[in-house]
Amino acid sequence: MRKRSSSLKATVESPNMSWIREGELNLLEKISANILKAGPMPKHVAFIMDGNRRFARKKNMERQEGHMQGFNKLAETLRWCKHLNIREVTVYAFSIENFKRTQNEVDGLMELARQKFEKLLDERENLEKHGVCIRVLGDLNMLPLDLQQLIAKAVVSTKAHNKCFLNVCFAYTSRYEITNAVREMAWGVEQGLIKASDVSEPLLSECLYSNKSPNPDLLIRTSGEVRLSDFLLWQTSHSCLVFQSVLWPEYSFWNLCEAILQYQLNHTSIQKARDLHREHQAAQQLEADRACAAELLQHRGNGKPADAQRRQEALLHYTTRREERIQDFLEALKHKRDSFIHDLWSDAVSA
Amino acid sequence: MALLYGLLWRLLLVLVHINRALVAWLRVRLRSWKGRLWERAMAGLLLPVALAGFPDHQKKLNQNPDANANPMTGNRTAGRRPRWLSDGKSLEKLPVHIGLLVTEEEPSYTDIANLVVWCMAVGISYVSVYDHHGIFRKNNSRLLEEIVRQQQDLLGADGSKYNVEFLSNGSDKHQHHVVSCSPTVKVLSPEDGKQSIVQAAQQLCRSVENKERSSKDISVSMLDVLLRESKNVPDPELVVKFGPVDSTLGFLPWHIRLTEFISLPSHRNVSYEDLLGVLQRFGSCHQRLGQ
Repeated sequence: MRKRSSSLKATVESPNMSWIREGELNLLEKISANILKAGPMPKHVAFIMDGNRRFARKKNMERQEGHMQGFNKLAETLRWCKHLNIREVTVYAFSIENFKRTQNEVDGLMELARQKFEKLLDERENLEKHGVCIRVLGDLNMLPLDLQQLIAKAVVSTKAHNKCFLNVCFAYTSRYEITNAVREMAWGVEQGLIKASDVSEPLLSECLYSNKSPNPDLLIRTSGEVRLSDFLLWQTSHSCLVFQSVLWPEYSFWNLCEAILQYQLNHTSIQKARDLHREHQAAQQLEADRACAAELLQHRGNGKPADAQRRQEALLHYTTRREERIQDFLEALKHKRDSFIHDLWSDAVSA
Repeated sequence: MALLYGLLWRLLLVLVHINRALVAWLRVRLRSWKGRLWERAMAGLLLPVALAGFPDHQKKLNQNPDANANPMTGNRTAGRRPRWLSDGKSLEKLPVHIGLLVTEEEPSYTDIANLVVWCMAVGISYVSVYDHHGIFRKNNSRLLEEIVRQQQDLLGADGSKYNVEFLSNGSDKHQHHVVSCSPTVKVLSPEDGKQSIVQAAQQLCRSVENKERSSKDISVSMLDVLLRESKNVPDPELVVKFGPVDSTLGFLPWHIRLTEFISLPSHRNVSYEDLLGVLQRFGSCHQRLGQ
């Protein structure tokens, strides 16, 4: 179908490992999993899979081989997550900043992605059996067209699955994602769907690439780095952050258990902080609505003071209107995004 | 079976807690032991100074900084400031902007003030203090007073050179307590986080509403400029997190893209050596910026 440099192809021609790993946990793992599951479990875990290149250097292998092993570890981790009842996983596969790496390495990573998404399409039945839904978060426009189409195919063919969710952040940074959300809201303003005063924290969350997922409960970064590197900055503000020193290709079931245990130790205090934040957010929205309603009332009443009942009615009326506007806007946005993916998909299918 | 697993889970949690407490206890013991050893060595070298009350210098510094009546204070502080500065210089790199993130329920003003003063003394230009209840923000002036007091206590007469500027970019814009230009202390609350991003978004959307710009023009750098405020404060390179909660709890989401997070068990009775340890760890980190 496509022509690629043969040297590149050779470096990535190792055993083509699949996305889905079958197999049960061994007895000790099973017991530990059951003990952990007696406590509060994270529903959504995010990974920064760091250390592939350091691993390759350590083992004296090709850099690309390190990336390959990293992918295989992901498949294994997904299997563990399934057994631990973690239904949603988000991974940082490729940052926009990674485009700054050498052309050779970027090409290698794109090639790996092509291969993996092709493999994913081959495994469609298996994915269906396990109900795995794949989403790709990021700006697809930055990628080569053939890869965009492959991704579109993978996303479209798994979008109805709802047992577990794998979000792959590709051509992604969090700042870019937030900026894009602002851009989408500004688009809504341009289209006359919403007003600038409708912009709020929940609305911004709805416009992020991750709008279909709850915020991650637990974020794990491997290889001893202690920063977020522009990953899910908005979504993880009340998540448990766990930094582990193990390199990603060496990640084990026990490392994952350790991270979950740390989450469980944090659970109560983080939950409290989340509730506090939610209350604060609701209060803020009410205040904003009140201000807007009052302004409208004054505008209509030619500056005459309104009694409490009229104010209350105006507030209610305003709130309902705002919610309608936001609903319409979100629908339009969803349509816009779906049709982008769908167009890519239909181009790919008809080609 | 489920009951048994539940029991085992509880047991596991208890074990982890005991383990943590043990580690914390050992750390304190080790530190005081090391401190004593160092003091003894110093005492042997500088016998006259030691006789004049040097051995308990560290304890005074940490636990009762208010014990200022003692006539030795002048002598003690005179020597310490240069030590701090040279500590700062001896580090491989020093953050320009440091964040102090307190996740504990009960904040201690004295300890935070100590930390702020030490940060300034080693040569850090911007210090941000954050807690997710916004307690420090609410009691802004109390923290400021405490910082000024600690500054005099810890730095002595020398401290007057290091004035404090208080910045808070929330709604209380008019209550800025501006004393001088550098270094700068900022007291942050959750409102400076997501809420400020929302405000910037509103501002951009309003300009789109007024047909001043198109939605397509909105870029990362545009948003960054809005969130950076009028003052050109760099993003914090280092956040020191105090307390048992492993989360940022809403600390400036936009600004912590490349921030290193280093934890300390508590900000209560924190010592200068703890902070120096964190700065040394930060100094040895290398960032690759996507490379």
